[in-house]
Amino acid sequence: MPLLRPRSALRWSLVGLLVLLLAALPSLVGRLPAADADRSAADLRAAVLASGDVAFSGYAQSAGGLTLPLTDTFTGIADLFSDRATMRTWYRSAQDWRTDVVTATGETGTHRDATGTWTWQYEDDEATRARVFPLSLPIAPDLLPSDLGRRLLSQAADDELTRTGAERIAGRDALGLRLVPADVASSVSHVDLWVDAATGVTLRVEVFGGDASAVGVVTGEPALSTGFLDVDFTEPAASVTAFTPPPGADVETDEGLPVLDGGRTPDQSPLPAELAGLPRQDVEGVERSVGVYGRGITQLVVVPIPGRFADRLRGQLDVAPGAVLDDLGVRLSAGPLGLMIATGPRGATYLLAGTVTSETLASVAGQLPTTGGRG
Amino acid sequence: MIAVELVKLFRRPRTWVTIALLNALPVLVAVLLALTDLGPRPGEGPAFLSAVLTNGNLYPLAALAIVLPLFLPIAVAVVAGDSVAGEAQGGTLRYLLARPAGRTRLLVAKLVAAFVFVLVAVVVVAAVGYVTGSVLFGVAPTGTTTFSGTTLSSQQIVVRTLLAIGYVTFSMLGVAAFALFFSTLTDSPLGATLGALAVLITSSLLFTLDAASSIAPYLPTRYWLSYVDLFRDPILWRDIVRGVGLQAVYLVVLLGASWANFTTKDVTS
Repeated sequence: MPLLRPRSALRWSLVGLLVLLLAALPSLVGRLPAADADRSAADLRAAVLASGDVAFSGYAQSAGGLTLPLTDTFTGIADLFSDRATMRTWYRSAQDWRTDVVTATGETGTHRDATGTWTWQYEDDEATRARVFPLSLPIAPDLLPSDLGRRLLSQAADDELTRTGAERIAGRDALGLRLVPADVASSVSHVDLWVDAATGVTLRVEVFGGDASAVGVVTGEPALSTGFLDVDFTEPAASVTAFTPPPGADVETDEGLPVLDGGRTPDQSPLPAELAGLPRQDVEGVERSVGVYGRGITQLVVVPIPGRFADRLRGQLDVAPGAVLDDLGVRLSAGPLGLMIATGPRGATYLLAGTVTSETLASVAGQLPTTGGRG
Repeated sequence: MIAVELVKLFRRPRTWVTIALLNALPVLVAVLLALTDLGPRPGEGPAFLSAVLTNGNLYPLAALAIVLPLFLPIAVAVVAGDSVAGEAQGGTLRYLLARPAGRTRLLVAKLVAAFVFVLVAVVVVAAVGYVTGSVLFGVAPTGTTTFSGTTLSSQQIVVRTLLAIGYVTFSMLGVAAFALFFSTLTDSPLGATLGALAVLITSSLLFTLDAASSIAPYLPTRYWLSYVDLFRDPILWRDIVRGVGLQAVYLVVLLGASWANFTTKDVTS
C-alpha cells in the first residue's frame, strides 16, 4: 500500500511547494546582488565627510559586546556598549535632527535644535534641556552609522583606507571601505564601513578589536556593529524633529558631567602636549585640565578626577575579570575600549579612557604629572 | 454550515466561561490599582499600565497587554484545538461528514467559528477594559502622552485603540491556525491545544535568546506586542506591517496543511 494516495500526495505537494516558496523568499531577496562602483577609497571618504547635509530618516540597530564594569557609575555607557539598541532617526541637518531609542514599552528621544538638545525619557516622564557640550559621554545617537562613520573617517589618512566590494544594505547599494589605523597605540584592528553609493551616508559600521586577550573580544566578530535596516532619503518634516515638553512632565536642565569638567581639581598640574607618542588635540571649549589625545580612531581622554569618585570607579575596576593592577593603578581592556584609573606619585588620580592598547595606557600613566600646588 | 458552527460555539457555556475568565485578571489588576493607587513606572510592567491611573481610556490597551502573552493564546488554542479533534473524540465527526456538504466546507466552517471566537474574545476584553478603566480611573480631559512625548486627542486614542484591537485579533488568528492544524492531526482536543501552546512557548523562549536572533523574524510570537508602536509619534509601522505579513504567511501555510490533511485523512470516529 503506498504511503500516500495520489490525491493526498498532490495536496501535500501543493502545501510543501508553498512552504518552500515562502521560506526561500527572504533568502532570495537577501541575495540580490549589489552594484559596485569604480570609486577610490579616498573619494568614498570625501563623500562620507560631505554627507552631513544629506537629509534622511531611518531605522537602525546597534549591537555591542563590550562588558564594561561601570554599572554603578556610568550605567548608560555600560548598557550602550553591551546591549542591542534599536533606533529611529530623522535627520534634516547637523543642527536639526531627532533620534529615538525604542524599547518594547517606551522610548528615549533626543531632539537637536540650533542651541542644544531636548532629551525625552518616557520611562521617567521627564524632558531634559542641555546645551551642546564640547565633550560629553557617548549616547545612543552617537552610534548611528551615519554619524559614527563621519566621525571615524574625519581624521583618517588615505593610506589607512582600502575598498572592500559592495553589499545591499537597507535596500540600497552600499560600497565597502576598510579603515586600518596606522597608529601602533590603537586597540582597534580595523573598521569596516559601507557607504551609500548615491549619497555618501554611511549605512553600516563594524569595529573590530585588535587585542584578542581583551575582555569581550571574539575573533572574527565585531566588538561593535551598527547599521540601518531601513533608510529613506526624503527630507523629514520639521514638526517631526521639533519637541515641546508634554503637559505634566518633569522638565530638567543638564549641566554636563562634572567629571568631564576637570573633576573640580583646579590645583592639578597641566597635562603635557604629548603622552606616549599621542599628540594632544585642541578641542574648543574643553577645560584645560582635560586632555584629548590621539588622532582619528585612536583617541584617549585624560581626566583628573576627585578622590572619592576615583575610589568608586577603582572599586568596580579592581574586581572586574581581566583587570590589571599594578603601581600605576588599575586598567582594563574591554574589546577595543581601554579604561584606567591611574594614580600619580602624590595621590593625584586620573581617568584614562579611549581606543588605545593596555600597554599605551600604562605608558601614559607613567608620564602623567603629579599634583601641583597643594600636593 | 458556518451559522450552525457559530450557534454551536456560542451556545456552549464553556465558551462564555472562557471569555469571562479571560477578563478576570485585567479586572482584578484594575481594582488593585484603583484601591492602592500604586501603578508601575512608565516602561515597567505590561504596556500602558503605568498610564491608566491618569487616563482610564487606555485601560483597553493595558487589558490586552495583560492577557496577550499567555491567557488569550491559551483561550484561542483551547477553542480552535477542539474544532475538529473534539468532534472526533465525541464520535460525531463521521456523522458530520456524512452530510453532502464535504470536508472542505466543514473545515471552513470550523475555521470561521474559531476566527469569530478570537474576534469576540479580543473585543470583549477591550470593552470590559474600557468600562473598567472609565469607571475606576476616569478619563483624562487633556488627552494622553505618546511614548514620544506628544499628546494624542481622545479621537486619536480611539482610532489607534481600534487599530490595536484589529492587530491583536489578527495576531491571534495565527494561534487559531496552529491549533486547527493540530486538531486535524489528532483525535484529542487536549493534544491539539497543547501542541499549539508548545509552539508558542518555544517561540517565546527562542525570542529571548541572542543565539536565535537569525530566526527571530520568523517566530510566530515575534511581533505580537508590536501594537504598542501605534502609540509612538510618528507611528512606527515597520514591525506592525511585518507582524501582519508573518501571521498571514502562517495562516496560509497552516490552513493549507489543515486542508491537505483533513480532506484526505481516514475518518473512523
